[in-house]
Amino acid sequence: MSSITLGQYFPGNSLLHRLDPRFKIVLAILYITASFLCKNIWSFAALAISAVVLVLVSRIPVSIVLRGLRPILFIMLFTVVLNIFLTRGETLLVEFWVIRIYLEGILTAVSMVLRITVIIVGTGMFLTYTTTPIALTDGIERLLSPLKVFHLPVHEFAMMMTIALRFIPLLIEETEKIMAAQKARGADFSTGSLLQRAKALIPILVPLFVSAFRRADELAVAMECRCYRGGEGRTRMTVLHATAADWLMLAAVILFGASLVLINRFAPGFTL
Amino acid sequence: MNTLQLEHISYLYSAGTPYEMRALDNVSLTIRGGTVTGLIGHTGSGKSTLVQLLNGLNRPTEGRVLMDGVDIWEKPKEIARLRYRVGLVMQYPEYQLFEETVRADIAYGPKNMGLSPEEVEARVLEAAAFAGISPEMLDQSPFDLSGGQKRRAAIAGIMAMRPEVLVLDEPAAGLDPQGRDEILGGIRAYREKSGSTVIIVSHSMEDMARYCDELIVMADAKLFMQGSCEEIFSHPEELAAVGLDVPQITRVAQLLRKRGLALPESIYTVEQAAAALCRLMGGEGE
Repeated sequence: MSSITLGQYFPGNSLLHRLDPRFKIVLAILYITASFLCKNIWSFAALAISAVVLVLVSRIPVSIVLRGLRPILFIMLFTVVLNIFLTRGETLLVEFWVIRIYLEGILTAVSMVLRITVIIVGTGMFLTYTTTPIALTDGIERLLSPLKVFHLPVHEFAMMMTIALRFIPLLIEETEKIMAAQKARGADFSTGSLLQRAKALIPILVPLFVSAFRRADELAVAMECRCYRGGEGRTRMTVLHATAADWLMLAAVILFGASLVLINRFAPGFTL
Repeated sequence: MNTLQLEHISYLYSAGTPYEMRALDNVSLTIRGGTVTGLIGHTGSGKSTLVQLLNGLNRPTEGRVLMDGVDIWEKPKEIARLRYRVGLVMQYPEYQLFEETVRADIAYGPKNMGLSPEEVEARVLEAAAFAGISPEMLDQSPFDLSGGQKRRAAIAGIMAMRPEVLVLDEPAAGLDPQGRDEILGGIRAYREKSGSTVIIVSHSMEDMARYCDELIVMADAKLFMQGSCEEIFSHPEELAAVGLDVPQITRVAQLLRKRGLALPESIYTVEQAAAALCRLMGGEGE
């Protein structure tokens, strides 16, 4: 349970959840690339619709998706303000004291916000919301495996990532437990000077490091007990198979990118 | 004094997310002051959540926790003060040790209370004695101690705050019989000296029968039963239905009764069984 609560993974069984993680990584990259192809208002509209479709297909509640956007709200606001006030164009809308707002500024601001939103939602729908971190590392390992030819330790890298991901929720849980235990002994982490607060962390950090080393040690022994000797000749429990759905989805995203280019060429509208 | 009351307590983990889980569901109970109360229940029945409500580590989603009739969340800013009155020893407390010496570690709680150095030292020595930490051990690093000794040092760290209510979440889990008896004996000594209320979470029905006056049985996030050991252990079928057991000696007595021995119903410690058998055989001896 705790292995999948990391990040934003939202359990489900939608088409996007079932796709092969290797394909999902490629799809996410293609989709982000496509979002940069938009040049006019129609292609941006198509992009916005595609993001909505993705959310619908993934069957992830809209409230969860919006919550995921909250951390970048500040960046978006910043982008909007900068673009509106600093972009110079031809159609002057408002002139007041030193402030000059042009139509082009507003359009650039809107397009930037849309693009950032779509990139976040797109990667979210293809990767973070619908793929467990373990499946994701598995996909990365398989995608990078051709690099083994150049003696890059791809398997070891993926194993490190898997273990790190597996340990993050454990360490968070451990930290919470230790904090609770020290609070029960009257520890106070939220008041006092900076130095006092830093000192108040010692009762958490010492037990946390001790337990992290103990866990690492135990894990190493447990892996050796099961004859782990690195990636050489190692088979997998879940072998990834590309299905028709994977190929169809790939085709759909490529077609989507191509149609954006066509819309840019042939549909009239504000060029951004 | 030192009476704890729970009124219609519910507690949700991760409320509003797909991982939402109801750990406690409308639990109301009273733990009388000065008693030793045992909290039993299957894994995941809400025991650990419940004990963390008692000292304000968790705030109930619904309902109130009352200490001597006062809502502990009446002044949320003063919740830290309550934690000195209700001392909680969490599961595997040995993993919270951090100081350079056992002495300094036991002193962490009393120091946070703002006591004078003399008072802190007196309390450290007192708590160490209860927990069976020898004076030589006090100057060792806590990381050099054995598992059982670490556990006792951690428990001493809570006892040194002289809590009016001492709550222990599985204090004897994973220890050998000797380590278990040392810890439970130390808790009993602390209670006799201080007159405080003690609440013990455990899976061992034998320990519960030996040390507790009252038992609380939790099942599926709800209060299942509350009563004296006699009352609880006279319902083996109900206990079995929620994945719990009666002490082994109670089952032995039951089987003996079925075979025609006139043993009383209320046998849940070996001593009681021995006394009853002696009476049956007409002797008074050991």
